[in-house]
Amino acid sequence: MNDPFGSSRPEAAFSGAAERFLELLKSFGMPGAAAGGRPPDWSGLAGPLASQFEQWLKMSQASGPWFGAGAAPGGFAAAAPAWAFGPLPLGPAAVQGNEAPRVLELLGRLGQLQGQLATHWSEVAQRAAGSFIARLGGAPAAPATPDEALRLYELWVECAEEAYGATVRRDDFCRLQAELANASAALLVEQRRHAETLVRAFGLPTRSEVDALYGQLKELRAQLAQLRVQPADRAPRAPRPRAAKGRSRPPRKRRTARGRGSRS
Amino acid sequence: MNTAGAAPGAAFQELALRVAATLTQLRAARDVTVGCSARRAVWQLGKTTLYQYLPLAGAAPVAGARPLLICFALVNRPYVLDLDPERSLVRRLLAAGLTVYLIDWGDPDEADRGTELGDYIETHLGGCVQHVLQAHACPALDLLGVCQGGVLSLCYAALHPQTVARLVTITTPVDFHTPDNLLAKWVRDVDTALIEASGNIPGELLNTLFLALMPLRLTQQKYVRLLTGHADQRTIEAFVRMEKWIFDSPPQAARALAQFVRWFYQENRLVRGTLEIGGRRVDLGAVRAPLLNLYALEDHIVPPQACAVLERYVGSRDYSACALATGHIGMYVSRSARTEIPARICAWLQPRSARRAQERRASARS
Repeated sequence: MNDPFGSSRPEAAFSGAAERFLELLKSFGMPGAAAGGRPPDWSGLAGPLASQFEQWLKMSQASGPWFGAGAAPGGFAAAAPAWAFGPLPLGPAAVQGNEAPRVLELLGRLGQLQGQLATHWSEVAQRAAGSFIARLGGAPAAPATPDEALRLYELWVECAEEAYGATVRRDDFCRLQAELANASAALLVEQRRHAETLVRAFGLPTRSEVDALYGQLKELRAQLAQLRVQPADRAPRAPRPRAAKGRSRPPRKRRTARGRGSRS
Repeated sequence: MNTAGAAPGAAFQELALRVAATLTQLRAARDVTVGCSARRAVWQLGKTTLYQYLPLAGAAPVAGARPLLICFALVNRPYVLDLDPERSLVRRLLAAGLTVYLIDWGDPDEADRGTELGDYIETHLGGCVQHVLQAHACPALDLLGVCQGGVLSLCYAALHPQTVARLVTITTPVDFHTPDNLLAKWVRDVDTALIEASGNIPGELLNTLFLALMPLRLTQQKYVRLLTGHADQRTIEAFVRMEKWIFDSPPQAARALAQFVRWFYQENRLVRGTLEIGGRRVDLGAVRAPLLNLYALEDHIVPPQACAVLERYVGSRDYSACALATGHIGMYVSRSARTEIPARICAWLQPRSARRAQERRASARS
């Protein structure tokens, strides 16, 4: 089986998350983590906390869960930081030599939508930090044990997810997500149209032509299957099995007329 | 290590040590394998492969049992049902003496851009059903549909009720417009014609989408939680197996995915009774087979209410449902669900199989 995320992904993802967790503990003034072991200024923590979270949201979701801008070519694993759930090598990232006005228009539109998305992230981050500080109540001591640190982290995640969930369920956010998806897909379609023009100029088969051939093939197969179907039997019949590849175990030997196992 | 009362900074150092130790464990678990039960490919069509699992030694066949065909989702790999010996629904079903088949949809490529949902349901799933029926010389089988695979199974069972004797659905969305369905909200205004025109959808995009439902929990917290205790190497290996599965989503055939989004998520055709597959209306009322519906109460992908409403729409008189206090992924691997789900399926199938065996004996005598 192919390795879906490269052999280093869980380690890299863990390292990234652990690093950010330890960074967070610095903000919480945990002895040994904060510079000089200074006690935390909880009232002043909301700003930096919101800023960190906003930055993370922007980095990990460059343009929402849809197609991202600015991703590197070479596939998801190469493009995304190990911890990110972000950009894909699609949309603007996949466009090369995009002088065409329609492409420029779509790129502009995407930039505009990403700006709107950034506003949402900023709002989510502010609300998350505010809610965290409010739920801490008073001026608690900095976490002194690993368990206390982890409990504080859990509270932070809860506040952050609540703030995120409240925003991403709103109609305006959902519409924005859909617009991002549509603009990205339109860009990809436009890019393919340009590629087809180029390919045609070299006398090579285009994607549309290949798709049309597949369509014809599918139709012919369906007609063939139809001819095989008994009129009374409306259930689809299993096409003749092909020799199956990739057996986990060698197939059992067939029994011969003379007894068990095949004889050579 | 108890750091309470220790020197300032000891707790932070302890956490840093846990990070290093966990990283070592993760590195050691890098090469874990997935899929533990022996199986053989028995039928193939396009990228779809039908596997038959080999019976476990010592597992006595159940009298009156029919072959059980598992239909998994198109958007994930089915090996999550057979991750390792401790986390394997397949293995527990085999241990109960059932004959188990599983459909692996494979990786669609550009040749499959035009593959339709109807092709998957009628030709691929239908082909698998017909193969199993022919192999066992029986008129009907038991069908177990998981998540999106449950939707496909419901459609198939509605179109070909005579071939499905009993139906089990796990985390299967039926009503896609329940208020808590975030995915449905996000794709509501998506232009599916554009999505289809832009080609097959990479599996990574779907991963991104699923992770974005709860980003901090799913991409940060689950890793930090590894620091809460001293997890043994087996626990870490199980974690890495799940990680492999989560990030291993196959690409999606453009047309089939666009149809799924439009017909189910946007237009909610299954419960509105307006769904047509291959020119035939899918009427859930035509599903009269005994039905067991299992779903998760904390599911962030398929809200429980989306599954629970199934009873209202099917024609099955013998309907049972069970909601488990876990999440979507927990349905496959959580400590409770991994024993409870197979136990419930077997307990539900067994008396019905016994009844069938009795009837067969009676008809043989007469």
